[in-house]
Amino acid sequence: MRIEIDHSLTFSLPPDTAQLVMHLLLTPASGPSQTVESWSIEAAGIGNAGRFRDGYGNAAHLVNQTRPDGEMRLVARGVVRTTDTNGVLGRKLPDEPVPTLYKRVTALTRAPVTLYGKFRSAKDNRLDVLHGLMARVGETLGLAEEAEPATQMQATGEQTQRQSAEPDSDLPPTIDYVHLFIGGARALDIPARFVCGYLAPGDGMAGGLHAWAEAYDDKLGWIGFDAQNQVCPTERYVRLAVGLDAESALPLRTVPIGEIVQEAVVKPA
Amino acid sequence: MLGRTAANLFWLSRYVERAENMARLLEVGYRMSLTSRREGGASEHLVSMMQAAEVDEGFDAKHELADVDTVAHYMMFDPDNSSSVYSCLQAARTNARAVRTALTGDMWESMNGAWLEFSQIKPRDVRGAKLQGLLQWVKQRSHEFRGALLGTILRDDGFNFLQAGNFVERADNTARILDMKYYVLLPRATQVGGDLDIQQWTLILRAASAHRAYRHVYHDRYKAENIADFLILRPEMPRSLVYCANFVQQNLDSLAKIYGRREQCQDAADSLLAMVEGASMDAIFSEGLHEFLNEFISRNNRVTDCLSDSYNFY
Amino acid sequence: MGEKTPFDEMYNPDGSVREPYRALAEWLAEQPDKGLALMQTDAEAIFRKLGITFAVYGSDEGNEKVIPFDVIPRIIAANEWRRLSKGIEQRVKALNAFLYDIYHRQEILKAGRVPEKLILNNEAFCPQMMGLEPAKGVYAHIIGVDIVRVGPDEFYVLEDNLRTPSGVSYMLEDREAMMLLAPDLFHRSKVAPVEIYPENLRRTLESVAPDSARGAPNIAVLTPGIYNSAYFEHSFLADQMGAQLCEGPDLFVDGGKVYMRTTCGPEQVDVIYRRIDDDYLDPLTFRPDSMLGVPGLFDAYRAGNVTLVNAPGTGIADDKAVYTYVPDIIEFYLGEKALLSNVPTYNCTDEDQRAWVLENIADLVVKEVHGSGGYGMMVGPTSTKAMHAEFRKKIEARPDNYIVQPTLNLSTCPTHISGDVAPRHVDLRPYVLVGDEVRITPGGLTRVALKKGSLVVNSSQGGGTKDTWVLED
Repeated sequence: MRIEIDHSLTFSLPPDTAQLVMHLLLTPASGPSQTVESWSIEAAGIGNAGRFRDGYGNAAHLVNQTRPDGEMRLVARGVVRTTDTNGVLGRKLPDEPVPTLYKRVTALTRAPVTLYGKFRSAKDNRLDVLHGLMARVGETLGLAEEAEPATQMQATGEQTQRQSAEPDSDLPPTIDYVHLFIGGARALDIPARFVCGYLAPGDGMAGGLHAWAEAYDDKLGWIGFDAQNQVCPTERYVRLAVGLDAESALPLRTVPIGEIVQEAVVKPA
Repeated sequence: MLGRTAANLFWLSRYVERAENMARLLEVGYRMSLTSRREGGASEHLVSMMQAAEVDEGFDAKHELADVDTVAHYMMFDPDNSSSVYSCLQAARTNARAVRTALTGDMWESMNGAWLEFSQIKPRDVRGAKLQGLLQWVKQRSHEFRGALLGTILRDDGFNFLQAGNFVERADNTARILDMKYYVLLPRATQVGGDLDIQQWTLILRAASAHRAYRHVYHDRYKAENIADFLILRPEMPRSLVYCANFVQQNLDSLAKIYGRREQCQDAADSLLAMVEGASMDAIFSEGLHEFLNEFISRNNRVTDCLSDSYNFY
Repeated sequence: MGEKTPFDEMYNPDGSVREPYRALAEWLAEQPDKGLALMQTDAEAIFRKLGITFAVYGSDEGNEKVIPFDVIPRIIAANEWRRLSKGIEQRVKALNAFLYDIYHRQEILKAGRVPEKLILNNEAFCPQMMGLEPAKGVYAHIIGVDIVRVGPDEFYVLEDNLRTPSGVSYMLEDREAMMLLAPDLFHRSKVAPVEIYPENLRRTLESVAPDSARGAPNIAVLTPGIYNSAYFEHSFLADQMGAQLCEGPDLFVDGGKVYMRTTCGPEQVDVIYRRIDDDYLDPLTFRPDSMLGVPGLFDAYRAGNVTLVNAPGTGIADDKAVYTYVPDIIEFYLGEKALLSNVPTYNCTDEDQRAWVLENIADLVVKEVHGSGGYGMMVGPTSTKAMHAEFRKKIEARPDNYIVQPTLNLSTCPTHISGDVAPRHVDLRPYVLVGDEVRITPGGLTRVALKKGSLVVNSSQGGGTKDTWVLED
């Protein structure tokens, strides 16, 4: 499936900002599930950016600006061709850190024992445990009749990314599902990571920015789990960046801190 | 050199000079208050000195009565007074500490020693007669620092920032002393001044450490226009406006040579010097002494502003 | 270990003088009455004048103090030093190999030699460092190893300092002062020079410049500023090696590179000897509220455009809980037995060991895992019953937060105490530089507990320093 993405980020700066420094994770990588056909980032100062890989293997940009205007706008857009792998990505890629790194428990990824306790003594294979865990996260946080991920993600003052849930829904935001799943997996000694990416509309789901988890199986390698939608990623999922949790996989971090509003228009090309 | 380092050097020098000037002003105020025979005269002199030091408003906000002890304490020791000798030495030392590597050992030891000794003095021990000794000490430590500076530091950009700070501060100080009493310096029909005039003139000359030098230069009794000429236009007088402006201009010129480019601040220094170089007192009087002094002070401030911009002070 | 007389560095049990101290003993005997006291006064004047002060946290007035300097040097024989420096070199090589491994393939965790959770969930572990290739493969370039001596041939490593060890300026200034105070004493002994440290530091820093650095690398020392307790040392080292002393606001990133703001505009920086803790280094990557750091610095480091010395995340190798595994770490990477011993350490998370610790707490030393500077620490034999009870409770509440060691009977060295000479407990911190090669300065910082019987040598707790002599053959 060819997917066209148009991801814009708007950022209002505090008054009298002398220096703006931005850390961008806005470059998707080609891999087993996707091939990036074309991609570009539009942002003031991007031509002069420092380019490097971060500790999680993401392609990152360091962009700086002197005396920036009051509002910054960044756009990342391109076309990505995907294939359905049933969520399976395989063993670690050369640029990625060892999977055991993703056993590290962070402040955002703590899970209560009531979530994962019943899997601790399970004789099931790891794949079954992970599917069980995904179902358990769904039961714990609740599921929409017809889940519709919002198209807007907002970064608050702490720049923790929260996806605003449907206004009329009592369901928690997407990242809570991801963090809970990751917390549970790590408590079971299974490496699990946060994935920030895009979702093309279909199967009753709206398109847009999205987040899900990946867990590691010694035989199959990394496998995706979207607990909010209770599926493993299909060909409608495009991976953008990974990290220990939402904070380390944020598409944009800045100094000084300000409010970021992002929107992604995702559609079949 | 870091822009911050340049700023620290400039301000280090300014604060040392300011500490010395504060001591000098207080010394004069103190002397005059001892000899004043009129009721309330002692207080008047002290208040004049505080006006020249621009600390009178701060003082009024804190104290009702301007007696010797209260004024001396305020100008020497009060940390609330940002121009007190205490505050100046502390600021100088803080600036010095931030740029220790840009100072010579002798300069640092002089500065650090001055601060350590001064900070251990208990204000209640220096009332009355002991005050003069301490004022003398402050001036001496300032001379010692300048001596260490002139004797040991490389003649590089750092030297020029230090010197510029010193002479910008001194020019400001002299201009303010003159402006405080400008009306007694205006030429008048009668050449003879009354007792009151003589007293005011002495005060001005002493505040600029110029009362003995005046005789060497003019071989004459105190005259208003001579005194103005001495402190504004005399190139041999080391606290005159022309002397200071010359130094500032030269130091900034050296910076332009070292860095291979001229900046706004060199123009600012030129325009400061242009006010006093080749000028005549007649012209200044006809323009208005007060207006002239105000313009000089504002151009002098502009030198600091431009210097900060040109060399990335922050 | 607490009962018997401590090992005296100068005198044998029969009262005769140990060989390395012969010249010193003669010299001491020649000093006139009050000679040492006068020297002590001179020393204090020298230090105060040079501005060697440190700030004491939590003390209201006179927040700058001079660390007491003792005029009697501490002496180490040539053969003793050879042994020590071999052991130190082995240790720092192994610790750097360990750091490389845990930030790459993590073989030591896979092999189960160090518990996975101890590393991965440790606060000092820095996931942002994963996969980074530091210049020359070195993470910890500047290391201070704390060593104590309990017998003629018994040395223990008390702790490794791989973050931003301080005190090296005292090593250098103590020597400077000693040479001013007692030049005649130096004529009688062959003392190895410590003055080479700044030049060696510069060479070490130059050797780890990024490949992209053109010509002689531009080196900066990054300090939190004049209110930091070690500011004197920062400015001293910058001066001694001819580097620029910078505060966070003096530096900025542009195009993925780091520059300093100078009077002539921006100037690129290649190597930063940073004396700011990891957390405060870069608000873009670490604590967002840090005002001390440089936004984007870490990214510029990852982009390979600047070298940070020491690398972020080195703290994982000097973590008190990891310390107990250092002998295994040495064996794992070098295939050798550790030459220097660790102090036996009890693990309070183990029930049996904890029970034993709680029983015997009056004889033990308890340290907070993340504490430093002698804070959060209790020395059993010199503490009150109430303190024992308090620490028993603390350990029971959070057994993983404490390590417990036997009370070491630190060696003593003759020390000048108000006109007299009396033995006082000492430790030793040699300084190691790791770049293109390992450079160990012969000497170090000897800290001395000035209070009679005290085993706490930290300057913040009433400790002083001594010039430390390594004799040459």
